[in-house]
Amino acid sequence: MMNAIEIRNLCKNFGDKQVISSLNMNVPVGSIYGFIGENGSGKSTTEKMICGLIPLTSGTIKLFGKDYLDIDIHSKMSCLIESPGCFPSLSVWNNLMLHATNLNLVNKEDEVREVLKLVRMEGAAGNKYKNCSLGMKQRIGIALALLGNPELLVLDEPINGLDVDGMRIMREILVDLASKGKTILISSHILGELEKIATHYGIIRHGKMIKEITAEEFEKECRTFIGLKTKDLNLTKEILKNKYDRVDQDEEEYIRIYDNVTPEEVVQYLYQKNIIINEIKVDRVGLEEYYIDLMKEGGKY
Amino acid sequence: MNKTLEFKNPSLIDRIKGMLSVDFYRLFHTPLFYIFLGIAAIIPALVSMGMSTTDPTTGQITGSSLENIWIMVAVEKPLYVVNNIAEYANMNMVFIFGGIMVSIFIGHDYKSGYVKQLFTTHAKKQDYMISKSLTCAFAMASMCLTYLLGTIVSGIVNQISFSVNVGSLIIAILGKMVMSLGWASLYTFLNIIFRRYFGVSIASSFFFGTGILIIGVGAIIDSLSLNSSILNLFLYGSSVNACLSSNILTLLTCIGVSLLWAIIYNVVGTYILNRSDVY
Repeated sequence: MMNAIEIRNLCKNFGDKQVISSLNMNVPVGSIYGFIGENGSGKSTTEKMICGLIPLTSGTIKLFGKDYLDIDIHSKMSCLIESPGCFPSLSVWNNLMLHATNLNLVNKEDEVREVLKLVRMEGAAGNKYKNCSLGMKQRIGIALALLGNPELLVLDEPINGLDVDGMRIMREILVDLASKGKTILISSHILGELEKIATHYGIIRHGKMIKEITAEEFEKECRTFIGLKTKDLNLTKEILKNKYDRVDQDEEEYIRIYDNVTPEEVVQYLYQKNIIINEIKVDRVGLEEYYIDLMKEGGKY
Repeated sequence: MNKTLEFKNPSLIDRIKGMLSVDFYRLFHTPLFYIFLGIAAIIPALVSMGMSTTDPTTGQITGSSLENIWIMVAVEKPLYVVNNIAEYANMNMVFIFGGIMVSIFIGHDYKSGYVKQLFTTHAKKQDYMISKSLTCAFAMASMCLTYLLGTIVSGIVNQISFSVNVGSLIIAILGKMVMSLGWASLYTFLNIIFRRYFGVSIASSFFFGTGILIIGVGAIIDSLSLNSSILNLFLYGSSVNACLSSNILTLLTCIGVSLLWAIIYNVVGTYILNRSDVY
């Protein structure tokens, strides 16, 4: 499968400080690539370099197999970095029309109408940009990015600050775009939301890509666990550790068993050991937990 | 998923056309341009009022120290070193206020994030420089016209003489309007350099717009009794050279100098933009 974004040995220095260090990245065509990392890890810098807003110190970035600075490649990509580039005193419609003009689109009005419909903003076209809510502004940003029918979208924290409904709408828009074969690189701190839509993940730390994983691989790595609570957690843990390989305790004081075992087997085993179970559940590790553990030195994943 | 992608590579003309359309739309649809057109029109009125003479006993305006209203447009002969405000206060002041307008215009591009949005499309940095220079040159040339209008109205109101060599006057006005391109390119360049510091952008535009550097050099050249026509190779010098004794050579000099500096500032500005981060 061809990569929409292929980065090799990317480095970026700001003065003496190296913020991106030998970063490699592969974003397959048609994927929703969740780009995860803590604040200051280099996500936005990487995205800005992909978009050509910041010059590279060294390394290569290829977009659809072509050099990222080729002007023609920019006719197939679009970005929303930090906030949409809109003039506050102009209406949503006029801002989109201006961007469409910059893109030399032939049927500007039709295209603007279409993207407004896609982001569910038809009713707000006449509003001044400065009067729009944060959620609306983010959707306008997506609409701007969608003008010209790009194949690659680079979105920097598009769901930050959105309310529940705003997040849902944004999620639906992104899934809809992915279903049309668009490639989406999206960075976000809201991992629970990202987990619902991403097909691939890239985890960056201190400017280095520490893990690239597909959603399928993630599912396999983060298999389900049995969580249980008893009166004497320490004793129960010791007993379980004698039988099972991967047993630990989480912050909510559940003892977790990651081994391939059924709840019935666990209940029966503890019953034989005279341990009374207060609570038992089957659950799976989420992206957030996976990420936090990965950030720890020698995490279990 | 196999998909054949067709890449479009728009020509320079297409790219510039799109960008110019946006810049001119913004120019005509925001109050900034009209405010500065108004300022340019008011300057001659304020200056001529400042030069009016009053009867000390009654306090009433009796006339003006301006012998000819066209002095408000251009000096009679190239005068690189000024001794008083009357010698300085002419159409060249449009370039000072024009500089402030350009700073605000380009400052909005950065503040709104428009530049970031723009440079993720097929727009090249050189397109941006060219488009801004042309748009702002148009704005400054328009300010020259409203300045001219203000001058005529002031002359009529204050009953100041209008006698002039019409040919030289037209050449002087055209010369100054042509110089707008060079000035606009300079201000675009300065705003590219100081793009992160809006206040510094305005201050630097004002500083260069006053022509203080050339006035200083002119004073040195004067004291050394050297030929001061070398100053015509610079924007301020050439703008001063477009005076009421201009001939066609003056206009050609203005065109050449304006174009030369426009090219220099556009090339260097593009080079800097290509090697710097877009905020």
